[in-house]
Amino acid sequence: MTGVRVDEAFRCEQCGATWYYDKHHCPVCASHEYGTTELDRGEVLSRTTVEMTPPDVRSPNDLALVRFGDVQLIAQLADDGVSTGDTVEFAGEYRLREGDDKTRPRLRKVTQ
Amino acid sequence: MTDVAISGVGMTDFESESDRRLLELAAVAAERALADSHHDSDEVTSIHVGNALTEALGTGTGIGNALVSELGMEGVAVDRVENTSATGASACHRGIQAVGSDQSEVALVVGVEKMSVAETQEVTDAISQLVHDREYAQGLTLPSFAGLAAGAYLDRYDAPREALGAVAAKNHRNGLANEFAQFQKEITVEEALSSPVVADPLRLYDCCPMTDGAAAAVVSEDGPVDVAAATSATGTHAVAERRDPLEIDSVRTAGERAFEAAGLTPKEIDFACIHDAFTILELLELEELGFYDAGTAWEAALDGETAVDGEFPVNPGGGLKARGHPLGATGLSQIVEVVWQLRGEASADRQVPEADTGLAINVAGFGNNSVCTVIRA
Ligand SMILES: [Zn+2]
Repeated sequence: MTGVRVDEAFRCEQCGATWYYDKHHCPVCASHEYGTTELDRGEVLSRTTVEMTPPDVRSPNDLALVRFGDVQLIAQLADDGVSTGDTVEFAGEYRLREGDDKTRPRLRKVTQ
Repeated sequence: MTDVAISGVGMTDFESESDRRLLELAAVAAERALADSHHDSDEVTSIHVGNALTEALGTGTGIGNALVSELGMEGVAVDRVENTSATGASACHRGIQAVGSDQSEVALVVGVEKMSVAETQEVTDAISQLVHDREYAQGLTLPSFAGLAAGAYLDRYDAPREALGAVAAKNHRNGLANEFAQFQKEITVEEALSSPVVADPLRLYDCCPMTDGAAAAVVSEDGPVDVAAATSATGTHAVAERRDPLEIDSVRTAGERAFEAAGLTPKEIDFACIHDAFTILELLELEELGFYDAGTAWEAALDGETAVDGEFPVNPGGGLKARGHPLGATGLSQIVEVVWQLRGEASADRQVPEADTGLAINVAGFGNNSVCTVIRA
């Protein structure tokens, strides 16, 4: 995940497939030529509040499983006012784990 | 493939903190399995050791070789298997494959873990490193995945939290009847539901403990029970990549392969040892294996169908929840329980009546890899 941002997925330059978790090659066409693409808005499939977390992770840790088109990921929520079915986007600057060298966005609810 | 039998089994007590060293635990289980079999230690041609965490917890490397000397069995072939939480069953399958392919005549399989050597936090951190880097960056742990899956399950099927509590209470009741179990204590559904939240909606009593212990089996061509199938399958490393959060493909595929290899259907299995690292996993795995339709295992749990005296007993030994979860030993302890049940040697309060065929499923990570074993009397 060197260089890729939390709010980016990988996108194949040959076939356009997208994926979030690192692959050696495109999972659809096996091309090694791929770049990144910014994630827009996603739908919350499930959410949880984790009370017992590792020492360098906030507690409670609000998390959501989110679908962005073909891409699904689990990421931290900016606040706990998010429910299953809500639309979310990445925003803001936070340290996801204590000691992180830089800040990254969390998921927050999009209010139409 | 040559017919493969399990000719002896044995295990140590599963405990929060054992007085025995890592290698001592392994040696005790090995001796008990050998004593239970009709083989002497000098007949053993290969040893397969399952251990997941020794390097991460600083209790030595090369433990296969060290165990051989601890047992005074120098000369035998040995290897060590690692497959996170499914290490125990994977090690057993190496022994089954060795005997089945005539590469070994008598295989001794030992799974062991001593998790109390480190602080709880250190062990949790070692385990949490099995997730994908992008999951780790978000602070994800195994309970995080279980919480997300449990929330989705209760939501989709309109199931009550009591169904999860019923799984915990049932497995504790079975653990009470198992003298080797870490927790020999009954709990009520109410106690489970009011225990501290770990990852909403899961609470402390929905989660398995950390455990010290070892379990072993002797695998050879003849014995009182036969291996009908030993299969495994992998799933995605990152849990979010699964299109449906309630599907665990590795469990489903390992199960399908096992039923095909054994020439059996789920209906022909008399009882099962399911990898209930979290109560929700017992429900999901029962559905993925075809024992229950999707969205119905929770009703079976509430109705007592999966109790020892129910239609389809699940985790008669107490499961990971009550027997304990020493990673490298867990899968073997499931197999030990299946063998005891098939031989009619489990304690009266947990003995499944007229059990001829049992299934065990041991799961790595949150479904990264699943290892399925079917054993027949
Ligand atoms: Zn492609």
